[in-house]
Amino acid sequence: MTDKDRILSVELVEPNATFTLREICERGDCHAEFVIKLVSYGVIAPVEESLEERQWLFDLQTLARLRKAQRLQRDLKMNLPGLAMSLELLDEVQEMRREVDRLNQQLRHFLG
Amino acid sequence: MDFKDYYAVLGVSESASPEEIKKAYRKLARKYHPDVSKEENADDKFKDVGEAYEVLKDPEKRTEYDELKKYGARKDGSFERPSGWKGASDFGGGGYTEANPGQFSDFFEEIFGGGRRAGAGFGSGFGGQRHSMRMRGEDVHARLALFLEEALHGCEKQVSFNVKETDANGRVVPRQKTLNVKIPAGMREGQHIRLKGQGAPGVGGADNGDLFIEVEYAPHPLFTVEGQDILVTVPIAPWEAALGASVTVPTVGSKVKVKVPQGTSSGRKLRLKGKGLPGKHPGDQIVILQIAMPERHSEAAEELYRQLADAEKEFNPRTKLNV
Repeated sequence: MTDKDRILSVELVEPNATFTLREICERGDCHAEFVIKLVSYGVIAPVEESLEERQWLFDLQTLARLRKAQRLQRDLKMNLPGLAMSLELLDEVQEMRREVDRLNQQLRHFLG
Repeated sequence: MDFKDYYAVLGVSESASPEEIKKAYRKLARKYHPDVSKEENADDKFKDVGEAYEVLKDPEKRTEYDELKKYGARKDGSFERPSGWKGASDFGGGGYTEANPGQFSDFFEEIFGGGRRAGAGFGSGFGGQRHSMRMRGEDVHARLALFLEEALHGCEKQVSFNVKETDANGRVVPRQKTLNVKIPAGMREGQHIRLKGQGAPGVGGADNGDLFIEVEYAPHPLFTVEGQDILVTVPIAPWEAALGASVTVPTVGSKVKVKVPQGTSSGRKLRLKGKGLPGKHPGDQIVILQIAMPERHSEAAEELYRQLADAEKEFNPRTKLNV
């Protein structure tokens, strides 16, 4: 049986699964200073921001957001304030696109 | 091999100044960035734009490309490297890009190929030195659209994604990987699943990265999800709306009977407790009733409507419109 034919069982990631600062840096392939800067600009946030940096924990959504921030910064040469604003606007756009899709779908159902 | 017209990709003329090229690139990079754009094939378009800019921003590469365009491009859009062609510059020395040339086209490889060797040392930090160090493989983040039934009852799905790998020649190349994945029952939109070690391979004996898949719901022909609730529109006949009726409505994977109250207007909502998304606080199913008219009425039915209109003269459905 090839790898392609094998059916792999997945591991459900608990909604509260977290990564330490060190782990998020390793997975995000970046320095802690960069993560700390992103936190200070409000681009990403640890689960509990009041804790000391060494105790910070980040969830999976934050890891995905860190990767997105890295791609945008690398590809569009953005500075941190621009990055923070772009990500906020992109969040809004995504939320609105979802809402429009949902309302369109409801309208289609209603009009048969 | 097809010839790639980098000027057309960026939408600039062949005489465009470096400033015009930079401006066009910046605009298109914003437009097609996969994290920003919703356009189809945005990923491919973004790569094309990056590749075109990579060549046209560099005077030496641009000169070489212009020469090749002159002598190697055929009228039918294909391209063949002119025999005996030797580029004016040696790009094999590398260090020439901040982009990821591993994902550029075969056309780019044919002309500027030397630079793709890992030993050339790309700006992104990948290079020959990767072999001498241990580096955990990159995690891959992907999305998977599931129908509501698949998400709630579990299913087996084929998932395809790209991982960056280093081939035998030390080149960083994208490889499409396809896996058959068993999705557990009860998946919610936005929930993640992990396949350990299925991301990019580690370097120097380090661990492979993981594959993270975020679940999203595909548009469903019957149901819409709003928070915890599942919405369904159910058509009813005018007489069912007027007199009340017991009608069968679909639920996810089943059906139930509901009582339509007498005198129901179009748009009225009925709530089926606990028939929404399962969980600690299960949602409800919301049935939205919609009065449907037959395409044609019989003469007898039209006569009955005339009698009805006569009997209900006082009713004005447009009172709110002040007309």
